[in-house]
Amino acid sequence: MKEFEINESVKKVVIARIEAGMPQHIKISIGGKDTLSKEEMIEHVKKGDEQGKQIIKMHLNFIKAVTSGELLREINKA
Amino acid sequence: MEDGLLITCPEHDLTTAYLAYFSKEVIEMAEKKPLKCKKVMDKDLHLKGFSEILQNLNFKFIVLNGHGSPHTIYGYKENPIIEMGENDHLLKERLVYARSCDAGQELGKECMKNTKEGCFIGYCLPFVFYMDSKWTAKPGNDNVAKLFLEPSNTIPISIIKGNTTGKAHENAKRQTVKIIEKLMESQLKEQETPFYIEALWNNYLGQVIHGNSEAKL
Repeated sequence: MKEFEINESVKKVVIARIEAGMPQHIKISIGGKDTLSKEEMIEHVKKGDEQGKQIIKMHLNFIKAVTSGELLREINKA
Repeated sequence: MEDGLLITCPEHDLTTAYLAYFSKEVIEMAEKKPLKCKKVMDKDLHLKGFSEILQNLNFKFIVLNGHGSPHTIYGYKENPIIEMGENDHLLKERLVYARSCDAGQELGKECMKNTKEGCFIGYCLPFVFYMDSKWTAKPGNDNVAKLFLEPSNTIPISIIKGNTTGKAHENAKRQTVKIIEKLMESQLKEQETPFYIEALWNNYLGQVIHGNSEAKL
């Protein structure tokens, strides 16, 4: 899988999305560790550690799928 | 190799508790088939113990729930149960579904090298799911977690029903995309829906198959 460049502006966008859209009662299970709360997600993205990078990559992979038309193609096949 | 299901269900944190809970559907399906079924829980989920179980029990179908990495699948807490180069050869001619992060990257590929009848379905990315903390004591009521764990259950359930591994892989992918489509149509209803969609896409993208995709029980 192609690596994306994760810079500070990408981190800021991902953090802003989580702050604005993620309710407090939702948790995520990602990347070989136990679940993360909204605040913990933001903290990992800020640090840019393994789980933070995974959250950012998930976001970027989705944007890529939408902009390339890959997601739409898969929906049309389903 | 004998038709039968060996399933690991560690329960030491929320992630593994959810995986274990949603595995009940898989176990019920196996019992209904009927298919011999052995559920392995916490105390036996370490490298030595699990290797012995695999050596002594010739069941064809193995479902592994737990944390993972490119070279390792974990059992109870920090204990590996499958380690690349140590005991991954014990999976070689079996059908394996690993609901674990990243194990499809290296371990899954390696253990199915030159296999005849074996197949590994897993994830080359982190396996991601969201959960609603209001329901952690009753995961069965958690409609958020269901969005992710039900399509992943499609893989073992399809295999138990007699489909090939390739078909099971495809069924789960199609089901994931259908849920994405449904959520996209309703995404204005909940502010968090876009997060679920991108996580489902992550699981879709990360789900990989190695080995014989015509293999079946």
